[in-house]
Amino acid sequence: MNVVVCVKQIPDPANPGKLTSETHTIVRDGKLILDDSDAYGVEMALQLVDAAGGGEVTLVSMAPHSETSGLRTALAMGAAKAILVSDDALAGSDALSTAKVLAAAIKRAEPDLVIAATESTDGYTGTTPVQVAEVLGWPSISFAKKVAVADGTVKVDRQTETGYDSVEVSLPALVTVTAGVVEPRYPSFKGIMAAKGKPVEELKVTDLGLEPGQVGAAGARQEVVSVEPAEARKAGEIVVDEGDGYEKIVAFLEQIKVI
Amino acid sequence: MYAWSEEHEMMRSAVRQFVEKEVAPHQEALEHGDMPPYDILRKMFATFGLDTAARESFERRMEREANASTSGGSDSESSHASGSDSGGGRDAAMSLIPTIELCRYCPGMVTALGVSVGLTAAAIASKGTPAQKRRWVPDLLSLKTIGSWAITEPGSGSDAFGSMRSTARRDGDEYLLNGSKTFITNGPFADTIVFICKLDEGASAGGVSSDQERKDRKVLSFVLDRGMPGLEQSPPLRKMGMHSSPTGQLFLTDVRVGRDRLIGETEEVSGGGRDGAKVTFAQERAGVAAMALGIIEQCLELSVAYAKDREQFGQPIGQFQLIQEKLARMEVARLNTQNLVYRYIEMTEAGRPLTLAEASAMKLYTARAASEVAMEAVQLFGGNGYMAEFRVEQLARDAKVLQIYAGTDEIQITHIAKDLLRR
Ligand SMILES: Cc1cc2nc3c(=O)[nH]c(=O)nc-3n(C[C@H](O)[C@H](O)[C@@H](O)COP(=O)(O)OP(=O)(O)OC[C@H]3O[C@@H](n4cnc5c(N)ncnc54)[C@H](O)[C@@H]3O)c2cc1C
Ligand SMILES: Cc1cc2nc3c(=O)[nH]c(=O)nc-3n(C[C@H](O)[C@H](O)[C@H](O)COP(=O)(O)OP(=O)(O)OC[C@H]3O[C@@H](n4cnc5c(N)ncnc54)[C@H](O)[C@@H]3O)c2cc1C
Repeated sequence: MNVVVCVKQIPDPANPGKLTSETHTIVRDGKLILDDSDAYGVEMALQLVDAAGGGEVTLVSMAPHSETSGLRTALAMGAAKAILVSDDALAGSDALSTAKVLAAAIKRAEPDLVIAATESTDGYTGTTPVQVAEVLGWPSISFAKKVAVADGTVKVDRQTETGYDSVEVSLPALVTVTAGVVEPRYPSFKGIMAAKGKPVEELKVTDLGLEPGQVGAAGARQEVVSVEPAEARKAGEIVVDEGDGYEKIVAFLEQIKVI
Repeated sequence: MYAWSEEHEMMRSAVRQFVEKEVAPHQEALEHGDMPPYDILRKMFATFGLDTAARESFERRMEREANASTSGGSDSESSHASGSDSGGGRDAAMSLIPTIELCRYCPGMVTALGVSVGLTAAAIASKGTPAQKRRWVPDLLSLKTIGSWAITEPGSGSDAFGSMRSTARRDGDEYLLNGSKTFITNGPFADTIVFICKLDEGASAGGVSSDQERKDRKVLSFVLDRGMPGLEQSPPLRKMGMHSSPTGQLFLTDVRVGRDRLIGETEEVSGGGRDGAKVTFAQERAGVAAMALGIIEQCLELSVAYAKDREQFGQPIGQFQLIQEKLARMEVARLNTQNLVYRYIEMTEAGRPLTLAEASAMKLYTARAASEVAMEAVQLFGGNGYMAEFRVEQLARDAKVLQIYAGTDEIQITHIAKDLLRR
């Protein structure tokens, strides 16, 4: 079984991020790393391929400046190869154009299953994967907390507020996994050394049969009009307990209607 | 080499994640409780495939040595004892990166690891017979077993060989071993012990053996297993720092061993048995530089953050020139130490091992740098620096021993000067 994992390479969340002043998009000049959210997808894919007894994991990523750092991390974990779409024409892409690009790249790998994260750490619209599925015309299941593949179908326990739904669709399909679905492995030193030699196919928009006008700022239907700093949180109310603290807590909870 | 490669960076960030997740939460138990470091070290080895890598590299080395001996090659190459194979440079970085990262939190864990793998396994791997290597080395290299390397005695430290009292006496085809060893890393828990002693051939014609005779005796190394009759391993000693590395005493009373436990299975060892230990010294000293780097990097990072954060007299203390001077000196120490580590990796990669004097110089400088930086970090943190919660006090206590073990500062100075004056 062949699995594609969509992996987003993002600015290191440990460093304070910056937005451009005109387009209000994240500045992506420095080194980009593997989004932690996608490490779960990579691990899930490796486990599924292992369980199926054959096949391989291919990574698909769209990122500026031919960035491969994040891909190398996922290759070191055990993915076999990667497809990277990097093109100046992609600057300013919205979720839908990102989805078109990813879908076109995914098609080349002819996978049985596509895995993505529920949402990325930097953009977190959470809208890209389902749009990818739509563009491909494949069924999709989001919020997977358990995934199993058998006899041409994928069975998923889909996280809900109260528990989970059991959902099943036929392959090929796309599944988004939640953080914590599996424990991502650390890359072994041998894996790290091997990652350098694994193939990364770098493509331009035109290689995918797309027109530059369909993607990037030119094709975007969304625009971030303005960005406002979050309102500072109001100072909390300090209640001094003079033996009646519990009554005050109960009164407060009743007032905000949680009890 | 002037920077870590992309692969090195990946190893570093993977190990850092591991250390933050698997070591940091147990720090209290490792430093102030009774938790031995071995299970976490084993987990680290398994996680990064270092156990399999070590076994594979051991197999390759055995094969090379077998080929060299059948084709009539001398074994001078194999006795280089670097413990690494032709991909030496890569191996050097691979072992130094975990060293550096672990030392940001628990330098003691590196002490325990270094003695088991870098000293004990290396001693057997460099001078043992092929059968001895197979018997003990792979398990030590993969941390399946834990090793101790015992040379220091209550009466012999810097003058390790001269004042050594431990003896081996021939008894038929076997030997009887006696003596006591102290400050032995992993001593309380070791499965495999390299015991270094002198061959006592009895007094010469005149009766009582003279001091000179005792000094000149052959030095032999034996491999002992935990639980052998007559071998006692003490509980851990209380000490200033390196709490995550158990240190103990060994007492041997008529421990009976066959020739199969005499490293090399011969009493005729080059340099009267002193050479093997000397090669080990050079390697050990290089490892100390990497430990120093981890301690310095961590102290500097913590100090910079604290200098920006802590305010006195209405401004961050980083605004005071006396604090800036401390930070600047720490950065100089970090750069110099890092450069020495890079140089060591590059030289190993080029197949050019450090001379003993070079290794001594590297150890002297980096051990002092680590101690000074860590003590200055304590000072920069003020009262908080003296409190365990802020972590620099532990690193300062840990760093101090880098100037004592693996040859004291004074002994390094002696080696460096001797080498200069011999030219
Ligand atoms: C309202 C809004 C605000 C936006 N704000 C910003 C902004 O501040 N800065 C900015 O740079 N862009 C911004 N964008 C653009 C956004 O980054 C893109 O639309 C697009 O890449 C979707 O990213 P996401 O992070 O929201 O994906 P999500 O839908 O949250 O991602 C889910 C998963 O899809 C996969 N995936 C997503 N993108 C990629 C990719 N490029 N390669 C491989 N896999 C991928 C990953 O598995 C990911 O975890 C914004 C878009 C919208 C609609
Ligand atoms: C935590 C820890 C772990 C250790 N682990 C091991 C281990 O695993 N195996 C092992 O065998 N040993 C181990 N040791 C022992 C260590 O190697 C010795 O402590 C060290 O070599 C110094 O010897 P000593 O303690 O006897 O000091 P001494 O030799 O008594 O030195 C006392 C002082 O005299 C100075 N001095 C001595 N000779 C000279 C000279 N010629 N010129 C100038 N000054 C001199 C020294 O520098 C020092 O300042 C360990 C020690 C410690 C603290």
